[in-house]
Amino acid sequence: MPRGFCHGLLAAPMPDRDVAERLARLAGRLRERGVGVCLSDEIDGAAALLLVDRADRDEVRHALRAALKIRRPDWDTFDELLQGFWAAEDRPARAPDQPATPPERSRPRSDRTGRIPQWRWMQATGQLPGERGRETTSGDTPGYSSDVLLRRKPFDDWSADDLPAMERLLARAARRLRCRPSRRLAPVRAGGRVDLRRSFRRAVGTGGEFLSLARRDRAVEKPDVVLLCDTSGSMDPHTRFLLTFALSLKRVVRRCEVFAFNTSLTRLTPWLTPDKIAPTLDRLAAGVPDWSGGTRIGASLDEFVTRYLDTLVSAKTVVVVLSDGLDRDSPAVLAEAMRAIGEKARKVIWLNPLLGDPRYRPEARGMKAALPHVEHFVPAHNLESLERLLPLLAASGGTPRSTESGEAPGHPVPGATREHSAQYATEE
Amino acid sequence: MRPEVRETQAAMEREGYVAEPAIATAVYLAHTMRKPLLVEGDAGVGKTEIAKVLARILDTELIRLQCYEGIDVNTALYEWNYQRQLLRLRIAGTEGREPAQTEQMIFSRDCLLERPLLRAITRRDGPPVLLIDEIDRADDGFEAFLLEVLSDFQVTIPELGPIAATHVPYVVLTSNRTREIGDALRRRCFYLYVEHPSLEKEVRIIRARVPEVLDGLADEIAAVMQALRGRRLRKAPGVAETLDWTRALLALRQDRLDVDTVAETLGCVLKDHHDVQDLTARDVESLLAGAGSPRSPW
Repeated sequence: MPRGFCHGLLAAPMPDRDVAERLARLAGRLRERGVGVCLSDEIDGAAALLLVDRADRDEVRHALRAALKIRRPDWDTFDELLQGFWAAEDRPARAPDQPATPPERSRPRSDRTGRIPQWRWMQATGQLPGERGRETTSGDTPGYSSDVLLRRKPFDDWSADDLPAMERLLARAARRLRCRPSRRLAPVRAGGRVDLRRSFRRAVGTGGEFLSLARRDRAVEKPDVVLLCDTSGSMDPHTRFLLTFALSLKRVVRRCEVFAFNTSLTRLTPWLTPDKIAPTLDRLAAGVPDWSGGTRIGASLDEFVTRYLDTLVSAKTVVVVLSDGLDRDSPAVLAEAMRAIGEKARKVIWLNPLLGDPRYRPEARGMKAALPHVEHFVPAHNLESLERLLPLLAASGGTPRSTESGEAPGHPVPGATREHSAQYATEE
Repeated sequence: MRPEVRETQAAMEREGYVAEPAIATAVYLAHTMRKPLLVEGDAGVGKTEIAKVLARILDTELIRLQCYEGIDVNTALYEWNYQRQLLRLRIAGTEGREPAQTEQMIFSRDCLLERPLLRAITRRDGPPVLLIDEIDRADDGFEAFLLEVLSDFQVTIPELGPIAATHVPYVVLTSNRTREIGDALRRRCFYLYVEHPSLEKEVRIIRARVPEVLDGLADEIAAVMQALRGRRLRKAPGVAETLDWTRALLALRQDRLDVDTVAETLGCVLKDHHDVQDLTARDVESLLAGAGSPRSPW
């Protein structure tokens, strides 16, 4: 790389080439591990290294933490990778013309973790009852006419080919997702309060006469959504579609965090990019640790409460739990976690695929423990049920003021209100 | 350790802020590279204090912008003085001026009310310290606006045109992490996460901030605070609580901790009803035993 270019880029004296290179390598490793570090951070890092005592490893650590903007949860990863930064220094210096170690980014993720990631339902797609061969379906791309059928189709019968249709349906349904009056004021035609500033601008045009007053009122904003998906064995047939739903949702709401849990909790959000859904699912399969096995809903949600509740859940967040509620833990842990979430969130919705079956009663201990803290208890066995979830996300439950402002009010799902869940909870 | 970092640390210490190397390094870097410093950490660990101390070290004005939900440009940057505008509008009307002239009269600098951000960038005598407190409470729209201000240090007022900074202020942003700060803003800043202090540091903080405290009491208080933070609490007490408690104990003329005193003054430390309820007398005893100084009453 020509030196002059580097100078321009840094706008600061260049640290010696070796340091810059090691810094770049460190940043690359950090990125591989999911710690977001971008080029401007590396530049900050290089400049910071010039200002500190590079022999003092603690000082370098503090400086790089500040310059690369490493957040508290990522400190362990950072400290571990920083060892590599030093390891290079501890080795004898490399001959200057020797090429840098090739970037390791291209290596598949599985190599580094040392085991092949396994994602049960990715492999299970072939066994889904409704799976059809690619050749036979290439002609009948699902169109709008088949929407009604698609909507009622139980997830057990879905195939990968139905995913685009699902995406499309959800994208349309999700447009209704506006709900909460913001504290910010936005111009409106009528109502609200007088906007003096804009009124003055108008008055100038009319020679100082206030012929009309401009007004503004509280803007309406979309909710933030946190999805907690159960990916245990008992949820296997549903998980792929529920996650697709999560991905579609992520595109239309302002903020959507997605977590998966079975025996422990994994934050999926970093893997979810607004690409096509299929590659994202594949990336998930490659990046997320093996999670087959039993369920510890209580422990997982408790972990969510401890680690994420404060930053991710606020009064404008709707928390959606997707699970069948078959928990192996003590129900008390689950109840306590749900209480903590319910206290902080605007609304808690529990989606249960089993609820699609009219004979189902929430008898499982975990389910019973959670229900008192759940606002809506909704089936999630087909697309129609998920569509009906959207108005629930939007409805201003909890907040006294309803600002549906011309929007069709959300259809209340029959048999899915809090009273209903309370009734379930008391039924033995 | 680089002498400049040591110097920063010493200067902060002189102003009563016990800074460990991590804090001193970040403050030094942000100051030298003229980048905003984003400070995160639990409530009461001394985030805001960093800005105050920095202002005292630099012997300059501290301009504070307290963020809250719904904060908008008018509160943060500028607002027009409507009364004055109205008055001028009336005068212009009676004098029969041209519209262009009228406009100039009512949208002039002296009809402009400066809010913290504008004041910070237009301050005449030297760069101030601009504290943007609890940025996590503002919405992300406001965050995007801040981003623009913090990268160019120039603001545009539609009626007046762009106003460039006379000096680039030293900016400190704090966040309690009630929500994640957007990546873009974080990238513009240097980042510092302040943790709860260690036992030794906490003792030093107590002595620095409440010099009249007895050494033994300071040790005990710090030990109890450390033990409390080790428990599973809904709201872990910060250094602010430690200092409140120390001052409360001094006001009550207590020179040592016993179970009754702790129970009576627990409200200084635990600010959540459930946390207080969960703490039994036995727990308090074990906290005190953990504090480890069975001191004979004198």
